[in-house]
Amino acid sequence: MELSNYLIVGAVLFAIGAYGTITRRNAIAVLMGIELMLNAANINFLAFWRFLHPTSMEPQVFVLVGLTVAAADAAIGLAVVLNLYRDFGAVEVDRADTLKG
Amino acid sequence: MMHFAMQTAFWSLAALTIIPALCVVNARSIVHAGFWLLPCFLGVAGLYAALEAHFFFVTQIMIYAGAILVLVLFALMLTRNAMDPGAPQHNRLRPAAGVICAAFGILASYTLSHHHWNLSTALPGDAQTQTQALGDALIGLYAVPFEVASLLLLSALIGAVVLAKADRGPTADTPALADLMSPSQPAQSDHERIGGH
Repeated sequence: MELSNYLIVGAVLFAIGAYGTITRRNAIAVLMGIELMLNAANINFLAFWRFLHPTSMEPQVFVLVGLTVAAADAAIGLAVVLNLYRDFGAVEVDRADTLKG
Repeated sequence: MMHFAMQTAFWSLAALTIIPALCVVNARSIVHAGFWLLPCFLGVAGLYAALEAHFFFVTQIMIYAGAILVLVLFALMLTRNAMDPGAPQHNRLRPAAGVICAAFGILASYTLSHHHWNLSTALPGDAQTQTQALGDALIGLYAVPFEVASLLLLSALIGAVVLAKADRGPTADTPALADLMSPSQPAQSDHERIGGH
């Protein structure tokens, strides 16, 4: 398969994730959208690695660090959502508006 | 024939990734959205296998389909009555965001399919060579990013524990999490309390 096909899948997955992140009201669904976008970025990294620099290890190190960031992001994000639920009794992102001017 | 088989495999994996992803962002039930993540992550793992990134094929299944998905489902179960199931699941930006994201996807696909890439003809090593080279890179040239990533994981671990355990006591209108989870409390009162806002 060609490089551009993988990049198209990555771009479409990123667009879907961005749509979910922007439009969802539930904070956990927003985090799901972010996970989709991180997956799209990893697909792009590995597609470029495979078709442009298959003998180099930099892209794989990038993907590994990206995976770590995704795991940390999920853990912290979900802990924040649980706190939001405990303090406001809600998981809608638009309910957390205490700092809104 | 081989080419045709590769094409079929690629487009099935792409469909296995994209269609569940659409269901994740559009599903009315948040629990369904969480479960739709599983085929999406498995499709991405299949794409990694097609790209001959053997190590990340396994890592994707373990980290995403294993750890992150379970974390998301736990959070869903702990906050299960927080949203009125009849309330809208999307905010008022939905039409505009749909148009913009669709335009981005179409434009990016068009541009990417018409760009000329300087493709390399080299082939990646087999699973063992690749994994060994990655391990060598992580303790050699890329030792510092590797250690920074481990520090990030450690701070996220501690931060998540601190955030989730912080016991400030229940506020006037919100019972503590333990009360919400106890089976003795009827689900109806939960529902009324949250629906009252």
